[in-house]
Amino acid sequence: MGEMTDSPPERSSKRLPPQATMGLLDYLTTHALDEDYAFVSRRKEMAAKATAAKTRPTRGSGAIGAFVLAIFAVLVVTAALQTSRNSVSSEQERRELASQVSAARAQLEDERALLRQLRAEAAALEEQQLRSDASAQGLLDSINLLGAKAGTLPVRGPGVRLVADNAPGSATAQSEVLDSDLQKLVNGLWAAGAEAIALNGQRLTTLSTIRLAGGAITVNARSLRRPYVVTAIGNEDTLPARFAESSGGQAWLDLQREVGLRLSISPVSSLRLPGTEVSLRYANQEESGGTP
Amino acid sequence: MIAIIGLVVGIVLGLVLTPDVPLAMEPYLPIAVVAALDAVFGAFRAFLDGIFDDKVFVVSFISNVLIAAVIVFLGDKLGVGAQLSTGVVVVLGIRIFSNVAAIRRHLFHA
Repeated sequence: MGEMTDSPPERSSKRLPPQATMGLLDYLTTHALDEDYAFVSRRKEMAAKATAAKTRPTRGSGAIGAFVLAIFAVLVVTAALQTSRNSVSSEQERRELASQVSAARAQLEDERALLRQLRAEAAALEEQQLRSDASAQGLLDSINLLGAKAGTLPVRGPGVRLVADNAPGSATAQSEVLDSDLQKLVNGLWAAGAEAIALNGQRLTTLSTIRLAGGAITVNARSLRRPYVVTAIGNEDTLPARFAESSGGQAWLDLQREVGLRLSISPVSSLRLPGTEVSLRYANQEESGGTP
Repeated sequence: MIAIIGLVVGIVLGLVLTPDVPLAMEPYLPIAVVAALDAVFGAFRAFLDGIFDDKVFVVSFISNVLIAAVIVFLGDKLGVGAQLSTGVVVVLGIRIFSNVAAIRRHLFHA
């Protein structure tokens, strides 16, 4: 402190103060000690010379210095405690959040399992109920047919399995399979006559979307991991050829050639595609209709 | 001797009381500690030089702490808080190092 304001008397007359002529770093290193100490001691000396008789001891009891040092120690300890406490609390927070996330995830999984179980139960009860009644047998059949069509019930049949993956040995976004690529793939399969399609075990229904969410391709609100396995039920003999002719197939041919994406198609004699949930909240059935 | 006692008492007090820093002051505490450290090393060097003075120490300590905190506060208000605290730490750090070098010369005559 004090370097800027008061300069000792012998310097003030002629030359500029050192902070004006020196470089900042030089000044800092040469004037590390507060000049006031030198100033005050010089003044004391002069005072002592003037009144040579009354020479007080230059240093008092040191109580004030000790007091300030105590304040300094409190400051240091407080700052250190604060820092360590903050780091501990943020670490705790992080851990707590992580445990909350995993707990919520476990709960979600439990509830999903419960949902599956309840749905299976409901389906079994429905079937039982309808089977007991001979006239309702037709109704049951139509329900099963509708479920298979809509994608809510698992289906079985011959078809093809396609495995799409990123270009080998590269990590750029350009050489990755995008949601639009999968959309083209699936569209091509529909165009080629596929009757049911599932993406990594996620059945595509009337409400399914294939989109990029949070860096992962998401179908039926589930994130998929590569490689993307597309299973399609249809005519296993004609499906690959017709897919290759479709615009989606052409697009994938280009992707394979230009970008290096990998796609393999293999016919499978028997595939089983799972069903998934389709819940309508706003769309109501028309009253008079009901024809399948 | 009494200075060391004061230091120990301060440490014990800080550990026992663990005073809570108001949230508004929290960002300025570390820089205040660095400023205080500079004042303390300066005082120690002055003591070894034989020109130590209680009053100067007190004034330099308080003004160091206050000015450092105010500079950072101002910087925060102007949006250059981080840069200004870096500047303060650099300046005070250089001072601390050269003071410690002087203290070392005094203590070890090297």
